Amino acid sequence: MIRVLRSELFKFRTTPGPWVVLAVTLVLSALGIVAAFVNPGFGVSFGAPHSIGRLRELVGAGYGAVGIVGPLIGILCVTGEYRHKVITTSLLVTPRRGVLLFAKALASGIWGIVLCVASFVLVAVMGVPLLVSEGGSVDALVRQIPPVAPGLIGAFALLAVFGVGVGALVKNQIAAVVLAIGLSLVLEPVLVELVYHFFHIELNWLPNQDAAALAGGLTRGGQNGPSVVPNELLSWWAGGLALVAWGVGTALLGYFTTFRRDVT
Amino acid sequence: MQGVPIEVRGLTKRFGKVSAVRGLEFTAQPGRVTGFLGPNGAGKTTTLRMLLNLVSPTSGTATIGGSNYRDLAFPSRNVGAVLEATSFHPSRRARSHLSMIAIAAGIDRDRVQEVLDLVGLSADAKRKVGGYSLGMRQRLELAGAMLGDPGVLILDEPANGLDPQGIAWLRAFLRHLASEGRTVLVSSHLLAEMAQTVDDVVIVSEGELRAEGPLSSLAAQVRPSMRVRTPEPARLVSVAKDARLVPTEVAPGIVVVDGAVPEQLGPLLASNQIVVYEMVSEHRGLEELFLELTTSLGGRS
Repeated sequence: MIRVLRSELFKFRTTPGPWVVLAVTLVLSALGIVAAFVNPGFGVSFGAPHSIGRLRELVGAGYGAVGIVGPLIGILCVTGEYRHKVITTSLLVTPRRGVLLFAKALASGIWGIVLCVASFVLVAVMGVPLLVSEGGSVDALVRQIPPVAPGLIGAFALLAVFGVGVGALVKNQIAAVVLAIGLSLVLEPVLVELVYHFFHIELNWLPNQDAAALAGGLTRGGQNGPSVVPNELLSWWAGGLALVAWGVGTALLGYFTTFRRDVT
Repeated sequence: MQGVPIEVRGLTKRFGKVSAVRGLEFTAQPGRVTGFLGPNGAGKTTTLRMLLNLVSPTSGTATIGGSNYRDLAFPSRNVGAVLEATSFHPSRRARSHLSMIAIAAGIDRDRVQEVLDLVGLSADAKRKVGGYSLGMRQRLELAGAMLGDPGVLILDEPANGLDPQGIAWLRAFLRHLASEGRTVLVSSHLLAEMAQTVDDVVIVSEGELRAEGPLSSLAAQVRPSMRVRTPEPARLVSVAKDARLVPTEVAPGIVVVDGAVPEQLGPLLASNQIVVYEMVSEHRGLEELFLELTTSLGGRS
Protein backbone atom coordinates (compact mmCIF):
# COMPACT_ATOMS: atom_id res chain seq x y z
CA MET A 1 0.00 0.00 0.00
CA ILE A 2 2.80 2.39 0.93
CA ARG A 3 4.54 1.62 -2.38
CA VAL A 4 1.40 2.36 -4.36
CA LEU A 5 0.81 5.58 -2.42
CA ARG A 6 4.39 6.70 -3.07
CA SER A 7 3.95 5.95 -6.76
CA GLU A 8 0.72 7.97 -6.88
CA LEU A 9 2.45 10.94 -5.24
CA PHE A 10 5.31 10.53 -7.72
CA LYS A 11 2.76 10.68 -10.57
CA PHE A 12 1.52 14.02 -9.19
CA ARG A 13 5.03 15.41 -9.26
CA THR A 14 5.83 14.28 -12.78
CA THR A 15 2.85 15.66 -14.73
CA PRO A 16 1.90 19.31 -15.24
CA GLY A 17 -1.77 19.05 -14.17
CA PRO A 18 -1.24 19.15 -10.38
CA TRP A 19 1.25 22.03 -10.75
CA VAL A 20 -1.32 23.97 -12.78
CA VAL A 21 -3.84 23.33 -9.99
CA LEU A 22 -1.24 24.62 -7.51
CA ALA A 23 -0.79 27.75 -9.62
CA VAL A 24 -4.57 28.28 -9.71
CA THR A 25 -4.64 27.87 -5.93
CA LEU A 26 -1.98 30.53 -5.51
CA VAL A 27 -3.73 32.97 -7.88
CA LEU A 28 -7.07 32.55 -6.10
CA SER A 29 -5.32 32.80 -2.72
CA ALA A 30 -3.64 36.04 -3.82
CA LEU A 31 -7.04 37.42 -4.72
CA GLY A 32 -8.27 36.29 -1.30
CA ILE A 33 -5.42 38.12 0.38
CA VAL A 34 -6.19 41.34 -1.48
CA ALA A 35 -9.90 40.92 -0.68
CA ALA A 36 -9.11 40.73 3.04
CA PHE A 37 -7.68 44.26 2.82
CA VAL A 38 -10.70 45.70 1.04
CA ASN A 39 -13.19 47.27 3.41
CA PRO A 40 -16.63 47.15 1.85
CA GLY A 41 -19.36 49.69 2.30
CA PHE A 42 -19.81 53.21 1.04
CA GLY A 43 -16.60 54.29 -0.56
CA VAL A 44 -14.66 51.05 -0.66
CA SER A 45 -11.31 51.50 1.04
CA PHE A 46 -8.09 49.56 1.27
CA GLY A 47 -6.65 48.95 4.68
CA ALA A 48 -5.37 46.43 7.18
CA PRO A 49 -7.97 44.04 8.59
CA HIS A 50 -8.57 44.41 12.33
CA SER A 51 -11.69 42.46 13.18
CA ILE A 52 -11.38 38.77 14.01
CA GLY A 53 -13.48 37.86 11.02
CA ARG A 54 -11.35 39.83 8.56
CA LEU A 55 -8.15 38.51 10.07
CA ARG A 56 -9.47 34.97 9.66
CA GLU A 57 -10.26 35.74 6.05
CA LEU A 58 -6.66 36.73 5.57
CA VAL A 59 -5.34 33.54 7.22
CA GLY A 60 -7.75 31.47 5.16
CA ALA A 61 -7.25 33.33 1.91
CA GLY A 62 -7.17 29.96 0.11
CA TYR A 63 -10.78 29.28 1.06
CA GLY A 64 -11.98 30.80 -2.20
CA ALA A 65 -10.02 28.15 -4.09
CA VAL A 66 -11.00 25.06 -2.13
CA GLY A 67 -14.34 24.43 -3.84
CA ILE A 68 -12.66 24.31 -7.24
CA VAL A 69 -9.13 22.99 -6.78
CA GLY A 70 -10.00 20.43 -4.10
CA PRO A 71 -12.22 18.27 -6.32
CA LEU A 72 -10.11 19.10 -9.37
CA ILE A 73 -6.99 17.45 -8.00
CA GLY A 74 -8.83 14.21 -7.24
CA ILE A 75 -10.54 14.22 -10.62
CA LEU A 76 -7.24 14.69 -12.46
CA CYS A 77 -5.71 11.86 -10.43
CA VAL A 78 -8.25 9.34 -11.74
CA THR A 79 -9.44 10.62 -15.10
CA GLY A 80 -5.95 11.56 -16.29
CA GLU A 81 -5.07 7.86 -16.14
CA TYR A 82 -8.00 6.90 -18.35
CA ARG A 83 -7.40 9.80 -20.72
CA HIS A 84 -3.79 8.82 -21.37
CA LYS A 85 -4.35 5.07 -20.86
CA VAL A 86 -1.84 5.03 -18.00
CA ILE A 87 -4.53 3.09 -16.14
CA THR A 88 -3.33 -0.02 -18.02
CA THR A 89 0.17 0.36 -16.58
CA SER A 90 -1.19 1.17 -13.12
CA LEU A 91 -3.42 -1.92 -13.06
CA LEU A 92 -0.61 -4.16 -14.29
CA VAL A 93 1.50 -3.07 -11.33
CA THR A 94 -1.41 -2.95 -8.88
CA PRO A 95 -4.06 -5.38 -10.13
CA ARG A 96 -6.20 -4.99 -7.00
CA ARG A 97 -8.30 -2.05 -8.04
CA GLY A 98 -9.58 -1.22 -4.57
CA VAL A 99 -5.99 -0.77 -3.39
CA LEU A 100 -5.22 1.49 -6.36
CA LEU A 101 -8.32 3.64 -5.79
CA PHE A 102 -7.61 3.91 -2.06
CA ALA A 103 -4.03 4.99 -2.80
CA LYS A 104 -5.34 7.61 -5.22
CA ALA A 105 -7.70 8.94 -2.55
CA LEU A 106 -4.88 9.18 -0.02
CA ALA A 107 -2.48 10.79 -2.50
CA SER A 108 -5.11 13.32 -3.58
CA GLY A 109 -5.85 14.15 0.04
CA ILE A 110 -2.16 14.71 0.68
CA TRP A 111 -1.84 16.90 -2.44
CA GLY A 112 -4.91 18.81 -1.20
CA ILE A 113 -3.03 19.49 2.03
CA VAL A 114 -0.03 20.65 -0.02
CA LEU A 115 -2.29 23.12 -1.85
CA CYS A 116 -3.65 24.45 1.43
CA VAL A 117 -0.17 24.80 2.92
CA ALA A 118 0.90 26.64 -0.25
CA SER A 119 -1.91 29.14 0.32
CA PHE A 120 -0.69 29.65 3.90
CA VAL A 121 2.85 30.21 2.61
CA LEU A 122 1.50 32.84 0.21
CA VAL A 123 -0.24 34.55 3.12
CA ALA A 124 3.09 34.58 4.95
CA VAL A 125 5.10 36.00 2.06
CA MET A 126 2.48 38.34 0.59
CA GLY A 127 -0.24 38.95 3.17
CA VAL A 128 1.94 39.54 6.22
CA PRO A 129 4.18 42.22 4.61
CA LEU A 130 1.05 43.90 3.27
CA LEU A 131 -0.49 43.76 6.75
CA VAL A 132 2.60 45.32 8.32
CA SER A 133 2.80 48.04 5.69
CA GLU A 134 -0.85 48.93 6.31
CA GLY A 135 -0.28 49.15 10.04
CA GLY A 136 -1.99 45.90 11.01
CA SER A 137 -1.04 43.55 13.84
CA VAL A 138 0.86 40.36 13.03
CA ASP A 139 0.22 39.04 16.55
CA ALA A 140 -3.51 39.43 16.05
CA LEU A 141 -3.20 37.55 12.76
CA VAL A 142 -1.17 34.71 14.29
CA ARG A 143 -3.83 34.30 17.01
CA GLN A 144 -6.36 33.45 14.28
CA ILE A 145 -4.31 30.62 12.78
CA PRO A 146 -5.49 27.86 15.17
CA PRO A 147 -9.22 28.47 14.57
CA VAL A 148 -8.78 28.53 10.79
CA ALA A 149 -5.90 26.31 9.67
CA PRO A 150 -7.02 22.79 10.76
CA GLY A 151 -10.50 23.12 9.30
CA LEU A 152 -9.25 24.58 6.04
CA ILE A 153 -6.61 21.86 5.67
CA GLY A 154 -9.31 19.27 6.28
CA ALA A 155 -11.58 20.89 3.70
CA PHE A 156 -8.86 20.84 1.03
CA ALA A 157 -7.99 17.20 1.76
CA LEU A 158 -11.52 15.87 1.92
CA LEU A 159 -12.73 17.73 -1.18
CA ALA A 160 -9.78 16.19 -3.02
CA VAL A 161 -10.94 12.75 -1.87
CA PHE A 162 -14.44 13.65 -3.06
CA GLY A 163 -12.86 14.51 -6.42
CA VAL A 164 -11.39 10.99 -6.62
CA GLY A 165 -14.89 9.64 -6.11
CA VAL A 166 -16.27 11.87 -8.87
CA GLY A 167 -13.42 10.81 -11.15
CA ALA A 168 -14.07 7.14 -10.45
CA LEU A 169 -17.73 7.67 -11.30
CA VAL A 170 -17.21 9.81 -14.41
CA LYS A 171 -14.08 8.63 -16.20
CA ASN A 172 -14.30 11.26 -18.94
CA GLN A 173 -12.01 14.03 -17.73
CA ILE A 174 -13.80 16.98 -19.32
CA ALA A 175 -17.22 15.77 -18.17
CA ALA A 176 -15.94 15.19 -14.63
CA VAL A 177 -14.27 18.61 -14.41
CA VAL A 178 -17.35 20.39 -15.78
CA LEU A 179 -19.55 18.45 -13.39
CA ALA A 180 -17.41 19.26 -10.35
CA ILE A 181 -16.92 22.95 -11.11
CA GLY A 182 -20.54 23.32 -12.16
CA LEU A 183 -21.62 21.63 -8.95
CA SER A 184 -19.38 23.85 -6.87
CA LEU A 185 -19.95 27.22 -8.52
CA VAL A 186 -23.47 26.97 -9.90
CA LEU A 187 -25.59 23.99 -9.02
CA GLU A 188 -24.96 23.75 -5.29
CA PRO A 189 -25.47 27.45 -4.43
CA VAL A 190 -28.58 27.64 -6.62
CA LEU A 191 -29.96 24.42 -5.16
CA VAL A 192 -29.33 25.60 -1.61
CA GLU A 193 -31.11 28.89 -2.26
CA LEU A 194 -34.04 27.37 -4.14
CA VAL A 195 -34.69 24.64 -1.59
CA TYR A 196 -34.49 27.13 1.26
CA HIS A 197 -36.73 29.60 -0.57
CA PHE A 198 -39.48 27.12 -1.38
CA PHE A 199 -39.23 24.57 1.43
CA HIS A 200 -37.31 26.39 4.19
CA ILE A 201 -34.93 23.46 4.36
CA GLU A 202 -31.17 24.03 4.76
CA LEU A 203 -29.25 21.82 2.32
CA ASN A 204 -26.22 22.17 4.52
CA TRP A 205 -24.94 18.66 3.88
CA LEU A 206 -23.84 19.21 0.28
CA PRO A 207 -20.05 19.04 -0.33
CA ASN A 208 -19.23 22.74 -0.39
CA GLN A 209 -21.54 23.41 2.55
CA ASP A 210 -19.72 20.65 4.41
CA ALA A 211 -16.37 22.21 3.51
CA ALA A 212 -17.68 25.54 4.80
CA ALA A 213 -18.78 23.87 8.03
CA LEU A 214 -15.40 22.17 8.42
CA ALA A 215 -13.66 25.50 7.93
CA GLY A 216 -16.11 26.92 10.45
CA GLY A 217 -13.61 29.10 12.26
CA LEU A 218 -13.28 30.99 9.01
CA THR A 219 -16.73 30.86 7.53
CA ARG A 220 -18.65 31.77 10.67
CA GLY A 221 -16.54 34.85 10.91
CA GLY A 222 -15.56 34.96 14.56
CA GLN A 223 -17.06 37.41 17.07
CA ASN A 224 -17.68 40.49 15.03
CA GLY A 225 -16.63 39.81 11.49
CA PRO A 226 -18.70 39.05 8.45
CA SER A 227 -19.61 35.47 7.71
CA VAL A 228 -18.40 34.15 4.39
CA VAL A 229 -21.31 31.74 4.10
CA PRO A 230 -24.66 33.02 5.27
CA ASN A 231 -26.41 29.66 5.55
CA GLU A 232 -26.86 27.74 8.72
CA LEU A 233 -23.97 25.30 8.60
CA LEU A 234 -23.44 21.97 10.28
CA SER A 235 -21.01 21.85 13.17
CA TRP A 236 -17.39 21.50 12.01
CA TRP A 237 -17.20 17.83 12.94
CA ALA A 238 -20.54 17.00 11.37
CA GLY A 239 -19.48 18.83 8.21
CA GLY A 240 -16.23 16.89 8.21
CA LEU A 241 -18.04 13.58 8.63
CA ALA A 242 -20.50 14.48 5.87
CA LEU A 243 -17.60 15.34 3.56
CA VAL A 244 -15.94 12.01 4.39
CA ALA A 245 -19.25 10.34 3.55
CA TRP A 246 -19.38 12.16 0.20
CA GLY A 247 -15.84 11.04 -0.60
CA VAL A 248 -16.29 7.45 0.52
CA GLY A 249 -19.77 7.22 -1.02
CA THR A 250 -18.81 8.48 -4.46
CA ALA A 251 -15.59 6.42 -4.43
CA LEU A 252 -17.51 3.23 -3.55
CA LEU A 253 -20.16 3.98 -6.15
CA GLY A 254 -17.47 4.69 -8.73
CA TYR A 255 -15.57 1.56 -7.75
CA PHE A 256 -18.56 -0.75 -8.12
CA THR A 257 -20.03 0.87 -11.23
CA THR A 258 -17.08 2.12 -13.27
CA PHE A 259 -13.63 1.53 -11.84
CA ARG A 260 -13.98 -2.27 -11.83
CA ARG A 261 -14.99 -2.39 -15.47
CA ASP A 262 -12.90 -4.03 -18.15
CA VAL A 263 -9.96 -1.99 -19.42
CA THR A 264 -9.99 -2.80 -23.11
CA MET B 1 14.73 -15.96 -13.81
CA GLN B 2 12.90 -19.21 -14.51
CA GLY B 3 9.52 -19.03 -16.20
CA VAL B 4 6.29 -20.79 -15.36
CA PRO B 5 3.59 -22.07 -17.72
CA ILE B 6 0.77 -19.87 -18.94
CA GLU B 7 -2.42 -21.92 -19.03
CA VAL B 8 -5.70 -20.94 -20.63
CA ARG B 9 -8.64 -23.27 -20.04
CA GLY B 10 -12.14 -22.89 -21.47
CA LEU B 11 -11.70 -19.14 -21.66
CA THR B 12 -14.74 -17.27 -22.92
CA LYS B 13 -15.50 -13.57 -23.13
CA ARG B 14 -18.71 -12.03 -24.36
CA PHE B 15 -19.21 -8.29 -24.84
CA GLY B 16 -22.98 -8.10 -24.93
CA LYS B 17 -24.05 -10.29 -27.81
CA VAL B 18 -20.57 -10.47 -29.30
CA SER B 19 -18.39 -13.44 -28.37
CA ALA B 20 -14.81 -12.20 -28.52
CA VAL B 21 -13.27 -15.41 -27.18
CA ARG B 22 -14.92 -18.83 -27.18
CA GLY B 23 -13.73 -21.72 -25.05
CA LEU B 24 -10.08 -21.05 -25.75
CA GLU B 25 -7.51 -23.55 -24.47
CA PHE B 26 -3.75 -23.47 -24.81
CA THR B 27 -0.51 -23.63 -22.85
CA ALA B 28 2.68 -21.60 -23.24
CA GLN B 29 5.70 -23.38 -21.82
CA PRO B 30 8.82 -21.96 -20.12
CA GLY B 31 11.93 -21.78 -22.22
CA ARG B 32 9.98 -21.37 -25.44
CA VAL B 33 8.65 -18.49 -27.50
CA THR B 34 4.98 -19.12 -28.17
CA GLY B 35 3.44 -17.19 -31.04
CA PHE B 36 -0.19 -16.25 -30.41
CA LEU B 37 -1.31 -15.74 -33.96
CA GLY B 38 -4.49 -14.70 -35.66
CA PRO B 39 -5.99 -12.04 -37.88
CA ASN B 40 -7.22 -8.72 -36.50
CA GLY B 41 -10.33 -9.22 -34.38
CA ALA B 42 -9.48 -12.85 -33.58
CA GLY B 43 -9.60 -12.22 -29.82
CA LYS B 44 -5.85 -12.13 -29.15
CA THR B 45 -5.77 -8.84 -27.26
CA THR B 46 -8.87 -9.72 -25.24
CA THR B 47 -7.27 -13.03 -24.26
CA LEU B 48 -4.03 -11.39 -23.17
CA ARG B 49 -5.96 -8.78 -21.19
CA MET B 50 -7.90 -11.54 -19.45
CA LEU B 51 -4.57 -13.15 -18.54
CA LEU B 52 -3.53 -9.86 -16.99
CA ASN B 53 -6.76 -9.20 -15.08
CA LEU B 54 -7.61 -6.13 -17.15
CA VAL B 55 -10.65 -7.85 -18.63
CA SER B 56 -12.73 -10.30 -16.61
CA PRO B 57 -13.61 -13.59 -18.34
CA THR B 58 -17.23 -14.56 -18.82
CA SER B 59 -16.11 -18.11 -18.00
CA GLY B 60 -12.97 -20.21 -17.90
CA THR B 61 -9.56 -19.53 -16.41
CA ALA B 62 -6.33 -17.90 -17.48
CA THR B 63 -3.46 -18.54 -15.08
CA ILE B 64 0.24 -17.90 -14.80
CA GLY B 65 2.05 -20.60 -12.88
CA GLY B 66 -1.33 -21.78 -11.64
CA SER B 67 -2.33 -18.41 -10.17
CA ASN B 68 -4.56 -15.64 -11.37
CA TYR B 69 -2.60 -12.50 -12.16
CA ARG B 70 -4.28 -10.50 -9.41
CA ASP B 71 -3.28 -13.11 -6.83
CA LEU B 72 0.43 -12.88 -7.60
CA ALA B 73 2.32 -11.35 -4.67
CA PHE B 74 4.49 -9.16 -6.89
CA PRO B 75 2.89 -9.13 -10.35
CA SER B 76 5.51 -6.92 -12.02
CA ARG B 77 8.35 -9.05 -10.72
CA ASN B 78 6.78 -12.23 -12.10
CA VAL B 79 5.14 -11.05 -15.31
CA GLY B 80 6.20 -8.36 -17.75
CA ALA B 81 3.60 -7.15 -20.22
CA VAL B 82 3.76 -5.07 -23.37
CA LEU B 83 0.21 -4.25 -24.38
CA GLU B 84 0.01 -1.00 -26.28
CA ALA B 85 2.41 1.74 -27.17
CA THR B 86 0.06 4.49 -26.05
CA SER B 87 -0.24 4.01 -22.30
CA PHE B 88 2.00 6.91 -21.34
CA HIS B 89 1.32 10.39 -20.07
CA PRO B 90 2.71 12.51 -22.92
CA SER B 91 4.17 15.09 -20.52
CA ARG B 92 5.98 12.56 -18.39
CA ARG B 93 9.63 11.82 -19.11
CA ALA B 94 10.61 8.25 -19.97
CA ARG B 95 12.74 7.87 -16.86
CA SER B 96 9.89 9.14 -14.68
CA HIS B 97 7.48 6.69 -16.33
CA LEU B 98 9.75 3.79 -15.43
CA SER B 99 10.43 5.18 -11.95
CA MET B 100 6.68 5.38 -11.36
CA ILE B 101 6.41 1.64 -12.10
CA ALA B 102 9.51 0.79 -10.07
CA ILE B 103 8.22 2.61 -6.98
CA ALA B 104 4.80 0.91 -7.10
CA ALA B 105 6.33 -2.52 -7.74
CA GLY B 106 9.00 -2.19 -5.06
CA ILE B 107 11.81 -2.50 -7.61
CA ASP B 108 15.19 -0.90 -7.01
CA ARG B 109 15.34 2.45 -8.87
CA ASP B 110 18.83 1.53 -10.19
CA ARG B 111 17.06 -0.99 -12.39
CA VAL B 112 15.51 1.90 -14.36
CA GLN B 113 18.86 2.80 -15.91
CA GLU B 114 19.58 -0.87 -16.64
CA VAL B 115 16.40 -1.36 -18.66
CA LEU B 116 16.88 1.97 -20.43
CA ASP B 117 20.29 0.69 -21.53
CA LEU B 118 18.75 -2.67 -22.44
CA VAL B 119 16.27 -1.15 -24.92
CA GLY B 120 18.62 1.57 -26.14
CA LEU B 121 16.73 4.57 -24.77
CA SER B 122 19.29 5.97 -22.32
CA ALA B 123 20.08 8.98 -24.50
CA ASP B 124 16.39 9.90 -24.68
CA ALA B 125 15.45 9.10 -21.09
CA LYS B 126 14.96 12.73 -20.10
CA ARG B 127 12.71 13.51 -23.05
CA LYS B 128 8.95 13.70 -22.64
CA VAL B 129 7.25 10.61 -24.04
CA GLY B 130 4.89 12.78 -26.11
CA GLY B 131 7.81 13.45 -28.45
CA TYR B 132 8.69 9.78 -28.89
CA SER B 133 8.20 7.89 -32.14
CA LEU B 134 6.03 4.77 -32.13
CA GLY B 135 9.13 2.59 -32.19
CA MET B 136 10.60 4.40 -29.18
CA ARG B 137 7.33 3.98 -27.30
CA GLN B 138 7.40 0.26 -28.03
CA ARG B 139 10.91 0.10 -26.62
CA LEU B 140 9.79 2.02 -23.54
CA GLU B 141 6.90 -0.42 -23.06
CA LEU B 142 9.39 -3.25 -23.30
CA ALA B 143 11.65 -1.51 -20.78
CA GLY B 144 8.69 -1.28 -18.37
CA ALA B 145 7.97 -4.96 -18.86
CA MET B 146 11.59 -5.90 -18.10
CA LEU B 147 11.88 -3.74 -14.96
CA GLY B 148 11.05 -6.57 -12.59
CA ASP B 149 13.26 -9.09 -14.46
CA PRO B 150 10.17 -11.32 -14.80
CA GLY B 151 10.08 -15.00 -15.68
CA VAL B 152 7.05 -14.53 -17.90
CA LEU B 153 6.76 -12.07 -20.79
CA ILE B 154 3.43 -11.33 -22.46
CA LEU B 155 3.66 -9.12 -25.53
CA ASP B 156 0.81 -7.91 -27.72
CA GLU B 157 1.99 -7.03 -31.23
CA PRO B 158 5.38 -5.76 -29.99
CA ALA B 159 6.75 -5.32 -33.50
CA ASN B 160 4.21 -2.63 -34.37
CA GLY B 161 6.05 0.56 -35.22
CA LEU B 162 9.50 -0.99 -35.18
CA ASP B 163 11.74 -0.53 -38.20
CA PRO B 164 13.40 -3.60 -39.78
CA GLN B 165 16.44 -3.13 -37.56
CA GLY B 166 14.19 -2.93 -34.52
CA ILE B 167 12.29 -6.05 -35.54
CA ALA B 168 15.55 -7.96 -35.94
CA TRP B 169 16.62 -6.75 -32.51
CA LEU B 170 13.26 -7.81 -31.02
CA ARG B 171 13.55 -11.29 -32.54
CA ALA B 172 16.98 -11.81 -31.05
CA PHE B 173 15.83 -10.36 -27.74
CA LEU B 174 12.84 -12.70 -27.45
CA ARG B 175 14.95 -15.70 -28.39
CA HIS B 176 17.49 -14.70 -25.75
CA LEU B 177 14.78 -14.39 -23.08
CA ALA B 178 13.43 -17.86 -23.90
CA SER B 179 16.95 -19.31 -23.86
CA GLU B 180 17.21 -18.11 -20.25
CA GLY B 181 14.21 -20.27 -19.37
CA ARG B 182 11.57 -17.56 -19.43
CA THR B 183 8.07 -18.05 -20.81
CA VAL B 184 7.45 -15.76 -23.78
CA LEU B 185 3.96 -15.38 -25.23
CA VAL B 186 3.88 -12.98 -28.15
CA SER B 187 0.89 -12.11 -30.30
CA SER B 188 0.97 -11.00 -33.89
CA HIS B 189 -1.16 -10.82 -36.99
CA LEU B 190 1.96 -10.66 -39.15
CA LEU B 191 2.88 -14.30 -39.26
CA ALA B 192 5.86 -14.00 -41.54
CA GLU B 193 7.73 -11.91 -38.98
CA MET B 194 7.04 -14.53 -36.30
CA ALA B 195 8.26 -17.52 -38.28
CA GLN B 196 11.87 -16.86 -37.38
CA THR B 197 11.14 -16.23 -33.72
CA VAL B 198 8.63 -18.70 -32.33
CA ASP B 199 9.02 -22.29 -31.19
CA ASP B 200 5.33 -22.97 -30.72
CA VAL B 201 2.24 -21.45 -32.24
CA VAL B 202 -1.30 -20.95 -31.02
CA ILE B 203 -3.51 -19.93 -33.92
CA VAL B 204 -6.88 -18.36 -33.22
CA SER B 205 -9.62 -17.01 -35.40
CA GLU B 206 -13.00 -15.59 -34.45
CA GLY B 207 -12.18 -16.22 -30.79
CA GLU B 208 -11.62 -19.95 -31.24
CA LEU B 209 -8.52 -22.11 -31.24
CA ARG B 210 -7.60 -23.27 -34.75
CA ALA B 211 -4.28 -24.94 -34.10
CA GLU B 212 -1.70 -25.38 -31.36
CA GLY B 213 1.69 -27.01 -31.27
CA PRO B 214 5.32 -26.72 -32.33
CA LEU B 215 5.69 -24.70 -35.49
CA SER B 216 7.47 -27.59 -37.23
CA SER B 217 4.74 -30.16 -36.56
CA LEU B 218 2.03 -27.71 -37.49
CA ALA B 219 3.53 -27.14 -40.91
CA ALA B 220 3.39 -30.88 -41.50
CA GLN B 221 -0.38 -30.82 -40.96
CA VAL B 222 -0.93 -28.81 -44.08
CA ARG B 223 -1.85 -30.93 -47.07
CA PRO B 224 1.08 -31.12 -49.47
CA SER B 225 0.64 -30.21 -53.10
CA MET B 226 2.50 -30.47 -56.41
CA ARG B 227 2.58 -28.10 -59.36
CA VAL B 228 2.92 -29.90 -62.71
CA ARG B 229 3.50 -28.42 -66.19
CA THR B 230 2.27 -30.84 -68.81
CA PRO B 231 0.96 -30.88 -72.41
CA GLU B 232 -1.75 -33.32 -71.23
CA PRO B 233 -3.56 -31.51 -68.43
CA ALA B 234 -6.91 -33.22 -69.01
CA ARG B 235 -5.39 -36.71 -68.71
CA LEU B 236 -3.41 -35.68 -65.66
CA VAL B 237 -6.56 -34.37 -63.94
CA SER B 238 -8.37 -37.60 -64.72
CA VAL B 239 -5.57 -39.82 -63.44
CA ALA B 240 -5.14 -37.76 -60.30
CA LYS B 241 -8.84 -37.90 -59.52
CA ASP B 242 -8.78 -41.67 -59.92
CA ALA B 243 -5.99 -41.69 -57.32
CA ARG B 244 -8.23 -39.66 -54.95
CA LEU B 245 -6.10 -36.56 -55.27
CA VAL B 246 -7.49 -33.05 -55.86
CA PRO B 247 -6.17 -31.66 -59.16
CA THR B 248 -6.93 -28.15 -60.43
CA GLU B 249 -5.82 -26.72 -63.75
CA VAL B 250 -4.77 -23.29 -62.57
CA ALA B 251 -3.47 -22.12 -65.96
CA PRO B 252 -3.25 -23.61 -69.45
CA GLY B 253 -0.97 -26.62 -69.12
CA ILE B 254 -0.40 -26.17 -65.38
CA VAL B 255 -2.11 -28.39 -62.84
CA VAL B 256 -1.84 -28.10 -59.07
CA VAL B 257 -2.47 -31.44 -57.37
CA ASP B 258 -3.47 -31.03 -53.74
CA GLY B 259 -2.65 -33.89 -51.42
CA ALA B 260 0.18 -35.13 -53.61
CA VAL B 261 3.82 -35.75 -52.68
CA PRO B 262 6.61 -36.37 -55.27
CA GLU B 263 7.08 -40.01 -54.19
CA GLN B 264 3.41 -40.67 -55.01
CA LEU B 265 2.71 -38.43 -57.98
CA GLY B 266 5.94 -39.20 -59.89
CA PRO B 267 5.36 -42.96 -60.25
CA LEU B 268 1.64 -42.35 -60.88
CA LEU B 269 2.31 -40.11 -63.88
CA ALA B 270 5.08 -42.40 -65.13
CA SER B 271 2.90 -45.48 -64.99
CA ASN B 272 0.23 -43.62 -66.96
CA GLN B 273 2.84 -42.36 -69.45
CA ILE B 274 1.87 -38.71 -69.00
CA VAL B 275 4.43 -36.28 -70.38
CA VAL B 276 5.75 -33.92 -67.73
CA TYR B 277 7.82 -30.82 -68.48
CA GLU B 278 8.16 -29.71 -64.89
CA MET B 279 7.04 -30.95 -61.47
CA VAL B 280 7.70 -29.10 -58.19
CA SER B 281 6.48 -29.31 -54.61
CA GLU B 282 4.44 -26.28 -53.68
CA HIS B 283 6.24 -24.46 -50.90
CA ARG B 284 3.79 -23.24 -48.33
CA GLY B 285 4.96 -20.55 -45.98
CA LEU B 286 3.61 -19.75 -42.56
CA GLU B 287 1.42 -17.05 -44.06
CA GLU B 288 -0.39 -19.56 -46.27
CA LEU B 289 -0.68 -21.98 -43.39
CA PHE B 290 -2.21 -19.21 -41.35
CA LEU B 291 -4.68 -18.30 -44.08
CA GLU B 292 -5.67 -21.91 -44.51
CA LEU B 293 -6.23 -22.39 -40.80
CA THR B 294 -8.12 -19.18 -40.22
CA THR B 295 -10.33 -19.30 -43.30
CA SER B 296 -10.78 -22.80 -44.69
CA LEU B 297 -10.90 -24.56 -41.34
CA GLY B 298 -12.79 -21.72 -39.78
CA GLY B 299 -15.52 -21.97 -42.34
CA ARG B 300 -17.13 -18.69 -41.28
CA SER B 301 -16.73 -15.32 -42.83
